[in-house]
Amino acid sequence: MGKAIGIDLGTTNSVVAVMEGGRPTVIINTEGGRLTPSVVGFSKAGERLVGQLAKRQSVLNPENTIYSSKRFIGRRYSEVQSEIKNVPYKVTAGSNDAVRFLVMGKEYPPEDISAQVLRKLAADAAKYLGEKVTDAVITVPAYFNDAQRQSTKDAGQIAGLKVLRIINEPTAASLAYGLDKKKNETILVFDLGGGTFDVSILDVGDGVFEVRSTSGDTHLGGDDFDKRLVDWMAEEFLRDRGIDLRKDRQALQRLTEAGEKAKIELSNAIETTINLPFVTADASGPKHLEMKLTRAKFEQLTADLVERCTGPVRQALSDAKISERDIDEVILVGGSTRIPAVQALVRRLTGGKEPNQSVNPDEVVAVGAAIQAGVLAGEVKGVVLLDVTPLSLGLETLGGVMTRLIERNTTIPARKSEIFSTAEDNQTAVDIHVLQGERELANANRTLGHFRLEGIRPARRGAPQVDVSFDIDANGILTVTAKDNETGQEQKITISGSTQLSKQEIDRMVADAQAHTEEDKRRREEVEVRNSADSIAYQVERQIQELGNHMPVNDKARAEQLIGEIRNLVKTNSSDVARLRQLTSDMQQIASAMASTAYSKATSAGAQAGGTGGAQSGGGDDVIDAEFKQTR
Amino acid sequence: MAGAESSEAERLKEEVHREHEMYLRALADFDNYRRRVERERGETARSGKREIILALLEVLDGFDRAVQQTSGAPSSLSEGVQILHRKLLGLLEAQGVTPFESVGQAFSPELHEAIGSVQSDKDESGIVVDEVQRGYCWGDEVLRPARVRVTQ
Repeated sequence: MGKAIGIDLGTTNSVVAVMEGGRPTVIINTEGGRLTPSVVGFSKAGERLVGQLAKRQSVLNPENTIYSSKRFIGRRYSEVQSEIKNVPYKVTAGSNDAVRFLVMGKEYPPEDISAQVLRKLAADAAKYLGEKVTDAVITVPAYFNDAQRQSTKDAGQIAGLKVLRIINEPTAASLAYGLDKKKNETILVFDLGGGTFDVSILDVGDGVFEVRSTSGDTHLGGDDFDKRLVDWMAEEFLRDRGIDLRKDRQALQRLTEAGEKAKIELSNAIETTINLPFVTADASGPKHLEMKLTRAKFEQLTADLVERCTGPVRQALSDAKISERDIDEVILVGGSTRIPAVQALVRRLTGGKEPNQSVNPDEVVAVGAAIQAGVLAGEVKGVVLLDVTPLSLGLETLGGVMTRLIERNTTIPARKSEIFSTAEDNQTAVDIHVLQGERELANANRTLGHFRLEGIRPARRGAPQVDVSFDIDANGILTVTAKDNETGQEQKITISGSTQLSKQEIDRMVADAQAHTEEDKRRREEVEVRNSADSIAYQVERQIQELGNHMPVNDKARAEQLIGEIRNLVKTNSSDVARLRQLTSDMQQIASAMASTAYSKATSAGAQAGGTGGAQSGGGDDVIDAEFKQTR
Repeated sequence: MAGAESSEAERLKEEVHREHEMYLRALADFDNYRRRVERERGETARSGKREIILALLEVLDGFDRAVQQTSGAPSSLSEGVQILHRKLLGLLEAQGVTPFESVGQAFSPELHEAIGSVQSDKDESGIVVDEVQRGYCWGDEVLRPARVRVTQ
């Protein structure tokens, strides 16, 4: 059985996406692009070219290169007179007033042209996936009538695809944001593409979308913004240098590209430089174009274009008989919605609502179509949509810090385990404090549960091995198990609902962690420095005991004095990191000096049971990731 | 009773079948994904490089124009520009980027982007007569098509 794909069959460009492992992926076409021009060219040799290749030869072959077939599909010849004026190819009337493209003496219905584009998209998808593509969901504008929908479906069939469903573009965009799960919401979809502008208002409830109203402008889009920039640059150049670059085809092309690039840059920067060296030449020599363009200037040049979006939005609201306050969600579609002034306008017209724009606006419709295709092909409903843990999971370790076992955004089901040990000599129980959150300090995070593992055989600190595992299943149910590797003693706790936090709560916790990054880092460092100082003090103390009288009195006194200082600093939770570091390094020197003394003594006096073992266990401090705090 | 049991068994059988189906599907998806990731690992490095090379080609275009337009300039200056031009070209060639000839060839949309046509009586139609922006290959990939004018 083949894969089902989702296709956004656009007026200028088309996009194809597919569900893979439960996630939508946009497919790269054979030319390496994510957008495929919706263009079909018939070469004089009788060859058919689709997409980028068709576009490259369109200048040579304008009468045989069909683009914008979407503007004609499913319509009557008598309805499309104004469209015909805008295209260089011949459009005639077939039987029943049907639209026909006349290419080299042959008539083609628009369905045939769209079918060529669909066939290429499906073939590229098959190549990308390495498997056959049989089924598709294709999107159409919400305002398409039955004839236009039927013709689009026919195009799919001509392309050899089983069209699972024709869905509305705004519905697809809503699906991409998972809004089908909402109960009774009103969604405004603002779609400003390369050449068309559509506004749709939808109601969603129980997974069903209903179009309340649509409005738009069939000839408004990003290309108009580019043209404004080209004209501005050309006028400036004409004024300064007396040459009209628009008359030079090559220069015009470079201007258009530079304009588009500047527009894109101004979505992220407030100023850009347009740089076209050797753009033209006259008798006096080569001429260069270099000009600064600020976002403010760009906004001034295109203010009326942005303003043209206002009418259709107001119209759609009034047709749906709602006010801006009734809108629950706003979705931005189309590359031109990246323009800051457009976004500001949308916010203004929708009562300041923050629009959904996390999915690439050029691809959001195809992504939604792929999700719908997955649902219809039984992939999405069947395969559990793999969830992620919204926040990190871990436990409290020595010094009140959180040690993370499962990082946030890990795909579940997931399992992770780590070995921990005791923090005190002869500690027979450990407390497991299960935490969720992004803060470094345990008490700043959310407590999911507590339990206690008892029956650990008394031993030196650091010696027992407690294996703690976090296992979170596909439903988000977390089981934390602690097991003493020596005795086999085991305790566990099961916590449900670790993934069921509200989005606001998660966002708040993540933002909180970000706001405290510096402070947390500093405090965690303090804890770690105290822990390692304490650990080395413990190690040296044990070595002193082992060496007994074999140790020079002076060395012993100095070591004990340092140990005392460390103990004191640890006990008072001192934040004097510099002093603690100094003490730790002094102690390390003493420890290694003592180890060599201990070694020479051991060899001279014969093997001393446990001597080397003890040193190893103490020196194993670095291996132990974290230690539990003794609570008794 | 027996009927209820067998229908329950049927239901479970079906469920197992469905689950197994989903499991296989996930496995297949993963396997395909893994293979593609492997294949794309090389391509990812390449695509990062492509971006910077494409940007450098624009600089190279500038040199192409400069060489053309400064032919009347003092020779020491135009020579300098030419040396810089060759240096950049050599740097890109070391990366496997090579320009290809277009003028005199038949127009092919795989290699060429037409930006205009020229009426010609003597030449047959569909021949590239003018290259306004050079085309480049990168290994066996067309990195950037040439911008050309073609006879009609």
